[in-house]
Amino acid sequence: MLKRLLLLGVVSGILAGIASLIYQKVYSTSLGVDFSKIAKPVGIVISCVVGCLIAALGYWLLNKWLKNKTEIVFNFLFVILSFATIVGAFAAKLPLDTTSPELFPGLVIPMHFFPALAWLTLRPLFFNTNNQAV
Amino acid sequence: MNRNILTLATLLLLAAVSAFAAPVNYQISDKYNITFTGGGEVGGIFKTLKGTIVFDEQSPAASHIDLTIDVASVNTGNGLMNNHLKSAEWLDAAKYPAIHFNSKKIVKTGATYQVTGDMDIHGVKKEVTLPFSFQASGSGGTFTSKFSVSRADFHLGKPGGEVDEQIKLDIKVPVVKK
Repeated sequence: MLKRLLLLGVVSGILAGIASLIYQKVYSTSLGVDFSKIAKPVGIVISCVVGCLIAALGYWLLNKWLKNKTEIVFNFLFVILSFATIVGAFAAKLPLDTTSPELFPGLVIPMHFFPALAWLTLRPLFFNTNNQAV
Repeated sequence: MNRNILTLATLLLLAAVSAFAAPVNYQISDKYNITFTGGGEVGGIFKTLKGTIVFDEQSPAASHIDLTIDVASVNTGNGLMNNHLKSAEWLDAAKYPAIHFNSKKIVKTGATYQVTGDMDIHGVKKEVTLPFSFQASGSGGTFTSKFSVSRADFHLGKPGGEVDEQIKLDIKVPVVKK
């Protein structure tokens, strides 16, 4: 199960990373701001993959403890933790030569939810509703 | 005839000397830097500075400095902090869009100078004396100044809190002769 969870984590992370890069492109083009030196594309993808791998490990540990209730608790935790991380986006202090830093949270906050969205989207492809491998 | 030539030569010499000693009108170049720190994470820059600088190293009394900083150009690197700083509690950018300094007197103090003038921040005009130095180079030079401004003097923010009572400013203004 752990191997399949880790695979789900990697694939979800890559999907979330791709979604984040597309969003960054759309955001930068439509608002005319460029934060690519701060939120670097490689960093974004790595963060998404690492986040989803941590989620995979978290799911595996929770499953050992909670068994049938893992799914509901994990989903709640994943979303709540995603919400909690947006504090960092609001508190971020950018280099002083950065123009319009007030637009930075609008770029990165949605990205904080992409790993959870990707995970929830792809999970049915890896596991059935009874937490069993397909 | 000789007397006329002598008078003319004297006048020309006087004119040349006075022209040489006349204060120079400087233009502020783009690479200026206005940094402020208020303790801890509080700090930032002002991005827009305008003004006129007429300065003579040998005759500072004949010099004059008039500078205006655009309050809305403040940047702390954090959007929330920028908005807070521009709010009515602090600089109130909507009501007082500029920080203005107009010199009244400049004196030389050893290797540096002291300028006395009116500082206008947040709608409060107050006479202050600030130290500065000038480093000439080529057809211009660089003015530098480090000083502190009391928040209470200009009614900036509420007393106490995380921001120091004295806001430290570090100003570096490269200039070129006009």
